[in-house]
Amino acid sequence: MIANPYTQADWNAVIPLFIVGGAALIVLLADLVSPKYANRYVSMAIGILGLIGGGVYAGTTYGVSHNAFGGGFILGGFAVVLQEVIVISAIFSIALFGAIGRGDRIAGSVALMLWSTAGAMLMAGAANLMTIFLGLELLSLGLYCLCGLADRPTSRESALKYLILSSTASGFLLFGMALLFGATGSVTLAALTTPAVAVNPLYWLGGGLFLVGLAFKLSLVPFHVWSPDVYEGAPLPVTAFMSVVTKAGTLAVFARFAYAAIPAHASNALLIPFFIIAGISMIAGNLGMLAQTDMKRLLAYSGIAQIGYIVASLAGGTDQGVRYAIYYLVAYMFMNLGAFAIVALLSTDKEEGSSIASFHGLAQRRPVLAAVMTFFLLALAGFPPTAGFLGKILILSTNVSAGFPWLAALLIAGTAISLYAYFKVIRLMYDRHAKPQALPSVQAPLAYVSMAVCVILVVVMTFYPYTPSNVLPLVK
Amino acid sequence: MLFVIWLVPLLGAILCWAFGPQLKRAAGVLGSAAIAVSFIATVASWGAATQNGGTHQFLFSWLRGFDFGLLFDPLALIWVLIITGVGFLIHLYSVGYMWNDNAVARFFAYLNFFVFAMLTLVLSDNFAGLLVGWGLVGLASYFLIGFWFFKPSAVAAARKAFVINVVGDVGIMFAIFMMFSRIGTVTYAGVFANPHALDPWLFWICVFLFIGAAAKSAQLPLHTWLPDAMEGPTPVSALIHAATMVTAGVYLVARCAPLWSASHDAQTLVGTVGALTALAGAVLGIAQWDIKRILAYSTMSQIGYMIMGVGVAAYTAGVAHFFTHAFFKACLFLGSGIIIHALSDEQDIRLMGGMRKRLPVAFWAMGFAVFAISGCPPFAGFFSKDQVIYGALEHGYVWMWAVGLITAGITSYYMFRLFIVTFFGTYRGELKPEAVGIAEESSSAAQAAGSSVIAHEHSEPHGHENGHAPGWIMAVPVAILGLFSLVAGWIMAGQNSPWARFFASSFPREALPPATVTEGVTSGIAIAMFLIGLGVAYMRYGTREALANAPARLKRESETLPAVLVNLYYFNEILDWLFVRPAQALGQFFGRWMDPHFVDGVVREIVMTNRFLGTLMRSFQTGLLRAYALIVVFGAMCFAVYYALEGAMR
Repeated sequence: MIANPYTQADWNAVIPLFIVGGAALIVLLADLVSPKYANRYVSMAIGILGLIGGGVYAGTTYGVSHNAFGGGFILGGFAVVLQEVIVISAIFSIALFGAIGRGDRIAGSVALMLWSTAGAMLMAGAANLMTIFLGLELLSLGLYCLCGLADRPTSRESALKYLILSSTASGFLLFGMALLFGATGSVTLAALTTPAVAVNPLYWLGGGLFLVGLAFKLSLVPFHVWSPDVYEGAPLPVTAFMSVVTKAGTLAVFARFAYAAIPAHASNALLIPFFIIAGISMIAGNLGMLAQTDMKRLLAYSGIAQIGYIVASLAGGTDQGVRYAIYYLVAYMFMNLGAFAIVALLSTDKEEGSSIASFHGLAQRRPVLAAVMTFFLLALAGFPPTAGFLGKILILSTNVSAGFPWLAALLIAGTAISLYAYFKVIRLMYDRHAKPQALPSVQAPLAYVSMAVCVILVVVMTFYPYTPSNVLPLVK
Repeated sequence: MLFVIWLVPLLGAILCWAFGPQLKRAAGVLGSAAIAVSFIATVASWGAATQNGGTHQFLFSWLRGFDFGLLFDPLALIWVLIITGVGFLIHLYSVGYMWNDNAVARFFAYLNFFVFAMLTLVLSDNFAGLLVGWGLVGLASYFLIGFWFFKPSAVAAARKAFVINVVGDVGIMFAIFMMFSRIGTVTYAGVFANPHALDPWLFWICVFLFIGAAAKSAQLPLHTWLPDAMEGPTPVSALIHAATMVTAGVYLVARCAPLWSASHDAQTLVGTVGALTALAGAVLGIAQWDIKRILAYSTMSQIGYMIMGVGVAAYTAGVAHFFTHAFFKACLFLGSGIIIHALSDEQDIRLMGGMRKRLPVAFWAMGFAVFAISGCPPFAGFFSKDQVIYGALEHGYVWMWAVGLITAGITSYYMFRLFIVTFFGTYRGELKPEAVGIAEESSSAAQAAGSSVIAHEHSEPHGHENGHAPGWIMAVPVAILGLFSLVAGWIMAGQNSPWARFFASSFPREALPPATVTEGVTSGIAIAMFLIGLGVAYMRYGTREALANAPARLKRESETLPAVLVNLYYFNEILDWLFVRPAQALGQFFGRWMDPHFVDGVVREIVMTNRFLGTLMRSFQTGLLRAYALIVVFGAMCFAVYYALEGAMR
């Protein structure tokens, strides 16, 4: 007898997703009835409240540990932490809508962003190939539209590039999943752990193509080519969103794959190419930063390298590794979103403040913004005593103890290059001979608030380097 | 309560900083009030420190092995009392001293910040927190030495102090690394529970800790920054470079008593350095004419005593000398500040004289302090110095005992030289500088680096246009400190003194064989040394005939002083030859040869490579979709080939 799927399914597990997705519908409905002068704020308020609701509900399941949907969705520690990261960065991203493109209706953007968030949240707990793909596509579909929503040609270019390249990568991913299914006869990740599958060539090829798909989403070299163009063209809040949410969701999938879906003896051989490209990304991403004249592009390259560090932390499959990866991911989230908030604050109605020129001589015009930006850049570069420094030290230590000293060496080399790139921006901001520019007068209290919150949290993380301790059992 | 003690000075610093322009002179009141609150809170929480071995306040947990917290025990209590108590008096005095300075709010912000940093140092319950405080006091000292940043000499002195102190910070950092990698914790409780767990690195950990202590406390050979640090305002010299910060090294060794008690070699090393510094500082003090530099060398010498005391495991004695020294040395500095103030920034004692009638408060207070530092019973310095000297003997270091006694005699001599030349006779300020032997262009490099010459050119910026602060503001603190210079030692008299009982359970105790000479005999010799020093000073400067011919005599002395002393044993020159010249030569080598031919080449290579790589990366980043797709597919193919091969080989 086939059990009734509706009673088998554990709907509690996906309530946060429903809250977030439902909020998107309410945003759209509310936009129809709210007056024109208020609809921006209504949309943002409902979106943020929905995310907070989803985040709070997800938080209550932190201690829980069980499989929902027949093992397709695993709830508890790790998934919840990642969901919180996703929700928080979505909130910060929506807050940035307040600073750019005044006069546009944004209900559509907010709704799409919420649905994408729901997709990423699904990825955070996904434990079989179906849910992984479902989450990934839900995330990506929203983003294809979002990238094209700004009123400029580069935005549409960005959307098209993202659509085509991402579809290609999804093709590899899906093909890999099909091969994995062929090798094991099951879609669950747990089925992949049986030692017998490791002798099947299909398993290897499938795993490899699966990893290609993930590497694309994480924009690891050489699958990073899309990210600078797409980041540059997409509207600022969308770029901020992509720089953390996509990464967090994909990292969750990768971590679960790496920790829980590979027979122990095959783990190293299967994952080593992924760590190699992570190591290359640390160098290439930081090198790429050197020649940039657009802040969003610069942060895209910076993100390539930063994600390389986080992936490297998972090398060796240690308990520490996943905890430090989470620590660095959270630190990266705040440093990065803080930097985006400042870009938003330098925007005018017509133009986003992402060109490097708007940072030239910033210290004279907006000393506080320049100081805070300096703080974020130093943190991203890993200057002591910031959370970025601490996170890098932790990753270094786990790399060395897990037997990947070459990753540690690449991390140090990458950091050295990045110092130069970040300092170029800092020097530019404190250039005394800059020509005075017209001040963009931004009335964006939310962007100021998110900037301040990011500063505070980066500082707090430095002194309270708390890493969730009961994460590992729940990866599996 | 602990947080009040610790954080109110920080609050004061922030307020003085933030509202400086509005506060102006009121910043002094605010700053002093913050320290007063901290001091009252300290006294009020006396019991918390003395009962049950003190109070421990957990703050937060950083990485594993790094738990930050506050520890308030008898040792910390004594330091906090001095920092806030003497600190308050010096703050009060500064209100008057800085009355006409434009940057008075900045001054009090720094001063309060220093007190906060120093409290962090002594209240921390672990080495990492100690290092944070250690670094912060160095920073505060840097700010305050260079407070008059328009004086090039002040900036140079600040930089020198900072650099030498960083040497010490690095020493402590090494010690922390070694501790952490050996036993995985850096809390005092964890490290002191079993010092021998640190073997075989215990001795080296002590050495590195002591490098930090020596740099901060101006011990040989890292003392050269202290005389130059006198470029700062005089209250700064009193607070930081006499009473508190420079004694941080004493605190560190006393705090780490369990480590030192476990390593006899380390004890000998520290005791030796302390004894030699005590002697060297005293001898250097003989040949100086600048009143603040004399006091600086005497500070170095007295800290040598303290370091010798804690080094030879006579911890109670070393700390006792810190306690009394804080009073009489602060008193001496503040008194000299009154003189300097009254004489419009004259610091050369040859141009003083006859101050007894003019500045009676300074005369009486400094008189008490001079008797105290010279070791005259019943003044404070007698009791504590006696304990240190006897402690060295008790622990088997006879030569240190002898050195201590000889130094006591020299100290007595140069302090009374200062006292008589400054206060007795007639005022010589109207004479030409040459008449008392001040060379037009100072022959010694040290003198040039020092303050007197430059101080003439850049008169200290508190002009006298706006009148003076009420006289009592500066007089009262000096008087109180003078009084304490008399009475502070009385609690230390005798075998079972309140002082000894106070520290009964703080330090490790060793059973000692009876010393060859009793304490009474030691005291007798010390008093004899005091009298000899006093007598020689009187014969040379104090007789009716000497006072009458003072200018001529001083001139003769200036001309005949042994060059070796005037030039500070050529220490600056030796350091110059040892470190500066080789460093410069190395710099020349790199600058003339290495850089253009080798480093530049490499840099050019790197830049070219970077540019090449950048161009390479950009050549991929064409913006063309088909190119991107090609790259992605190419990457995927590489992956596919690897995995196909890997899978096929299974």
